[in-house]
Amino acid sequence: MRYKRTLPVAILATAPAAIVLLIMASVLYGAKHISAGEIWNAVVSFNPDSVDHQIIMSSRLPRVVGALLIGAFLAVSGALMQGMTRNYLASPSIMGVSDGSVFAVTLCMVFLPSANPNVYIVSSLIGSALGAAIVFGLAWLIPQGLSPVKLAILGSIIGTFLSGTAHALSTYFQVSQNISFWYNARLHQMDPELIRLSIPFAVAGVALAMGVSKSVSALSLGEEVATGLGIRTGLTKALAIIAVVLLTGVSVALAGKVAFVGLIVPHIARFFAGSDYRWVIPVSGVLGGMILALCDIAARFVNYPFETPVGVVTSLIGVPFFLYLIRTRGGTQRE
Amino acid sequence: MNSLSRKRFWTVVVAGGLLAVAAAYLSLTNGTFDMSVSDVVKTLLRIHPAPEHDLVVFEFRLPRIVLGALVGFALGVAGSMIQGVTRNGLADPGILGINAGAGLAVVLFMLLFQGSITATGWLGVMLMPLFGAAGGLLATAAIYMFAKEAGRLDPQRLILVGIAIASGFGALTVYISLKMNPKDYEAAVVWLAGSLHGANWKFIVTMLPWLLLLPWICLRSRALDLFQLSEESRKGLGLNVEREKNIILLCSVGLVSASVAVSGSIAFVGLIAPHMARRLVRLRHIHVIPVSGLIGMIMVLIGDFIGKTVFAPAELAVGIVISIIGVPYFVYLLIRARG
Repeated sequence: MRYKRTLPVAILATAPAAIVLLIMASVLYGAKHISAGEIWNAVVSFNPDSVDHQIIMSSRLPRVVGALLIGAFLAVSGALMQGMTRNYLASPSIMGVSDGSVFAVTLCMVFLPSANPNVYIVSSLIGSALGAAIVFGLAWLIPQGLSPVKLAILGSIIGTFLSGTAHALSTYFQVSQNISFWYNARLHQMDPELIRLSIPFAVAGVALAMGVSKSVSALSLGEEVATGLGIRTGLTKALAIIAVVLLTGVSVALAGKVAFVGLIVPHIARFFAGSDYRWVIPVSGVLGGMILALCDIAARFVNYPFETPVGVVTSLIGVPFFLYLIRTRGGTQRE
Repeated sequence: MNSLSRKRFWTVVVAGGLLAVAAAYLSLTNGTFDMSVSDVVKTLLRIHPAPEHDLVVFEFRLPRIVLGALVGFALGVAGSMIQGVTRNGLADPGILGINAGAGLAVVLFMLLFQGSITATGWLGVMLMPLFGAAGGLLATAAIYMFAKEAGRLDPQRLILVGIAIASGFGALTVYISLKMNPKDYEAAVVWLAGSLHGANWKFIVTMLPWLLLLPWICLRSRALDLFQLSEESRKGLGLNVEREKNIILLCSVGLVSASVAVSGSIAFVGLIAPHMARRLVRLRHIHVIPVSGLIGMIMVLIGDFIGKTVFAPAELAVGIVISIIGVPYFVYLLIRARG
C-alpha cells in the first residue's frame, strides 16, 4: 500500500497553495469588481471608511472561509458514513441528517425567538443527531435496512417528514420567512460571528474523525474482519456517528442544506487515496472545501449578476455523478 | 374464496365511498365562512339560492373538493401500478422523480409565457397539463435510460435513479424559478408546494381526459398480477413482459403528470394508499387499484380539510399534511413487515 501514499501526500501538500488561490479568486470575483491590491490593503491596514474594504472583510472573506469549512465538514461526514455503513450512497443530505437540523432550528426559532446564535448551533447539532438516530434506528429495525436502496428511501422519506413538519410549524407560528433563510444554502450571508462560535464544535468533530479513521478503515472491510483485527466495532461506530453529527450540525447551522458534497467527494478521495481512511478523511476534507468554494464562485456567474443558491450548482454537478455511481455499483451493498 | 374476496372488495368500496362523502361534506360546510347543512343542501339543489352561498359553494369549496378527489384518486391508482410494476413497496411517483419532471416543465411553462398566458385562462389551463405530461415523460425516459441494463429494468436501480433525477430536476426548477419576475415567482412557489388552493372548474376539466385511462388500466391489471411471479414464470405464461411494463408505466406517468399540473406535487399519497389497499383487499390488482384510488381520494380530502382549518387563517399545503400524518404510518408498516 505504501506506493499509493505519494498521491494523497501530494494533494495535501499542494492544498494550501490551491486554497490561497481559491480565496483570492473568490474575493476578486463578484457583483462588485475589486482589484487584487485592495485585498492586501484590506487585510493589512483595514480602513473602515472604504466600501471595498468593508465588502472584503465582512462579506467576501467570511463567505469563502465558510464555503471551505462547510465543504470540508460535509465531505468528512460523508466519508465516515460511507466507511462505517459500507454503503456507497451514505451521506448527510441523503440520510436525513440535514433535515433533522432544519427541524430543530425551526423548533428553536418558534419557541426561543430571541435566543443567541449559540443556541441555534446547539439545536442544529441536536437536530442532526435526531435525524441520524431516526434513520439509522429504522434501518436497523428493517430487514436489509442498511442496503443502499433501503437507506436512501428511508432517508428521503424521513427527510420529507422532518422538513414537512418544520414547514407546518413555521407556517403555524408565522416564522416561515426566517426559516427559509436557514433552509436554503446561504453562503452569501455568512455571519463571521457564527463561524467563530462554531469552531470548537468543528475542531472536536474533525479530531474525532481522525481519531477513529484507522478503525473505520477496518470497519469498511466488514464487521467480521474488524472484530478479527481487534477493533471494538460498537465504540467505533458510536464515535464516528458523534463526529458526523457534530460536523453536519455545524454545517447546517452555518449555511443550511448543501446537497451532494458529502456524497461525491469521498468517492473522489478514495479514487486518489485508496481505501485507508487515515488518508481518505483528510483528502476528503481538503477536496470538499475546495469543491464547495469553486461551486460558490460558479454560483455567482450562473445567473449573473444575481446570486444562485449554491445548492443548485452542487446538485447540477452532483446528479450526473450520482447516476454514474448507480450505474457502476447497482443496488447492492459494497463487496 | 373468489366470491368471498369479491364481497370484501364491495364492502371496502362502499365503506370508503361513504367516508369520502363524509369528508367532502365536512369540507363543504366548514371554513372561514360557516354555512349550515340546510344552506348547503339548498344551494346545491337550487332552492332559493343566495348569491353569497352560491359564490362560496360553487366558486371556492366545490371545485376544491372535486379537484382534490380526482387528484387523490389518480395518485392512488398510479402509485399502486408503479408498485406493481417495480415489485417494490417503496416505489412512489414522488420518489421516482415523475413529480419533479412534471414540476420542472410547468415552471418552465410559467417562465416562457410570463404573464402572456395567465394560468387561469383557458389556453393556459389546457396547455399546462400537457407541459406537465411532457416533463413527466422526460423524467421517465431519463430514468429508463439510466436504469436499464441489458434490456431489463432493474427495480432497485430504478428507484435510485429516480431519487437522483428528482433532485436534479428539483435543482433546475429552483434555478428557473429564480429567473422569473417576482409575480410569477410567487405563483410558482405556491403551486410547487402542492396545494389545492387555486382550484377551479377549468382544472377539473383538464383532469377528466386522463381519467378515461382508468377502464383500460383495469384491463391491464391481470398482467400486474402476473408481474408478482418470477421472471421465468411470466415468460412461461406468454406475457410480453417489457411491453406490458412500458404501457403500465406510461399510464401512471400520464395520471401523475396531470395531477401535478393542476395541484403541484403532493407527496406520499401514491406511496401509502396502495399499502392500505393491499391490507384491505389482498393481492388481486383488479381490486387493489380502485381501492387504492379511493383511499388516495379520502387521504387528499381529509388532508386538505385539516390543512385549511387547523392552521386558519394561514393554510398548510395538503402535501405537507399528508406527509406528517402518513410517514409515521408508513414507518409502522415497514417495521411490521419484518416478521
